[in-house]
Amino acid sequence: MMPFDLVEPGTLREALALLDPEDSAVRAFAGGTALMLMMKSGFFRPKRLVSLNALAGDVASLSLSPTGELRIGAMVRLAELERAPEIRRAAPVIAAALRRHSNPRVRNVATVGGNLAHGDPHMDLPPVLIALGAEVEIEGPAGRRRLPVDGLVSGYYETVLRGDELIVAAIVPPQPRRRALYVKCTTRAADDWPALGLALSLEADGAAIRAATIVLGAATERPMRLAQAESLLAGRTADAALIGEAGRVAAAEAAAAIIADARGSSAYKRRLLEVELRRALARLLDLPAAGETR
Amino acid sequence: MSAAPRTIRFTLNGRTVAAEVAPQESLVTMLRDRFALYGARESCGQGLCGCCTVLVDGRAVSSCLALAALVDGRAVTTIEHLDADGTLDPVQQAFIEAGAFQCGFCTPGFVLMTRQLLEQHPDPGDDDIRHYLAGNLCRCGAYPEIVQAVKLAAAKRRGAAG
Ligand SMILES: Cc1cc2nc3c(=O)[nH]c(=O)nc-3n(C[C@@H](O)[C@@H](O)[C@H](O)COP(=O)(O)OP(=O)(O)OC[C@H]3O[C@@H](n4cnc5c(N)ncnc54)[C@H](O)[C@@H]3O)c2cc1C
Ligand code: FES
Ligand code: FES
Repeated sequence: MMPFDLVEPGTLREALALLDPEDSAVRAFAGGTALMLMMKSGFFRPKRLVSLNALAGDVASLSLSPTGELRIGAMVRLAELERAPEIRRAAPVIAAALRRHSNPRVRNVATVGGNLAHGDPHMDLPPVLIALGAEVEIEGPAGRRRLPVDGLVSGYYETVLRGDELIVAAIVPPQPRRRALYVKCTTRAADDWPALGLALSLEADGAAIRAATIVLGAATERPMRLAQAESLLAGRTADAALIGEAGRVAAAEAAAAIIADARGSSAYKRRLLEVELRRALARLLDLPAAGETR
Repeated sequence: MSAAPRTIRFTLNGRTVAAEVAPQESLVTMLRDRFALYGARESCGQGLCGCCTVLVDGRAVSSCLALAALVDGRAVTTIEHLDADGTLDPVQQAFIEAGAFQCGFCTPGFVLMTRQLLEQHPDPGDDDIRHYLAGNLCRCGAYPEIVQAVKLAAAKRRGAAG
């Protein structure tokens, strides 16, 4: 790797001051697990790295409010998140999703902020957090702002973060009567990037669905809400026919956005989506997985 | 700090040390080149294989993905420290007894990861072991013996505790 300037400020304010909105070679360095790969391959040549590892307080801690709102500091390590009792109580789907994230060494250092800011569509947390209706808190020279996680990633490796802004926290609202699930579909080695990530969250009484949030990751340029499938399900009582229909509607609405790569053709990923959504709904709603053919 | 080499101070295997490192130097390079600690070695260089595993403040990390300069003020432990008191760690002993290696290239990483595994799951089942060690690769394919070694180590540790 080429030499670069490395700074490790002790406060968020100093960290923000060391960023440069005009220069994309000046970057925040959190766990570094994504950046080191890009730097070692020569794909990213930093001029200055601003390490966030000396930051303490809010930005590095996790809390659950009495109302059930989770606040996850950007520098919370994925391993901490996976094991936190607050997460297991308030949003167990996050802990379950992390079990299939990388390996325990990477999770020991990789951060929530890095997972959200990286903008790689294969990241596991963005679809999960979108399905839970989470927001990100962002701080910049003009102060703090909040954004739905759904509005953060704007394209392939692109986010709406400005060069002089940092993610401070992710905020997950209370999830009363909600059940959520994340499905990570790998088609080659188990720890390869997924062909498809699918996060869903349902508000339901038995099989009576009040609302559904369905998010497709990995197969598209950025995480994608499947609004047609969501509205098909809302207000209906689920049965085998309905969840089969939801799979087909989802595959059709995502068709144009799905990208073919080494992990599967676009037709294959559409079929994966159809089948995996149906199965996931069956699991969440305790229905037999209808329409299984082999 | 800047692009120039800087002096860092940290605890290495229980001793306070200092080193002059460049900002782009990785932790595994520093350990090998400055401290002649060859137990951690860079193989995949991408966080996938575990051959470069060391502990930073007690947590297992891939030293191929860590910047040396950022261990300033922290505590680094390498495989070389496990027998510091003259006896092998129970996990090392278990790997020997189970014959859980052939060339030994991957072994330091497996041993360090197994210790962390046993801290979190004192009595792991086959699935726990396979899942936890999925980020460690053994090109000699000693996996069946490694799983045996982990169970043996778990039993030794429980025996020692009880
Ligand atoms: C072996 C391996 C396996 C992996 N497997 C998976 C996997 O299964 N699933 C998955 O999702 N990912 C995986 N990853 C990617 C992993 O790097 C990310 O998931 C991780 O969360 C990134 O976090 P980080 O703290 O290391 O980010 P860094 O590398 O430090 O940063 C990544 C990007 O985010 C920016 N950034 C970091 N923090 C902030 C902040 N607070 N505000 C603004 N910008 C910020 C950085 O500037 C940089 O652009 C894997 C990586 C490796 C090495
Ligand atoms: S060399 Fe670091 S994990 Fe493979
Ligand atoms: S013993 Fe040779 S790589 Fe594992």
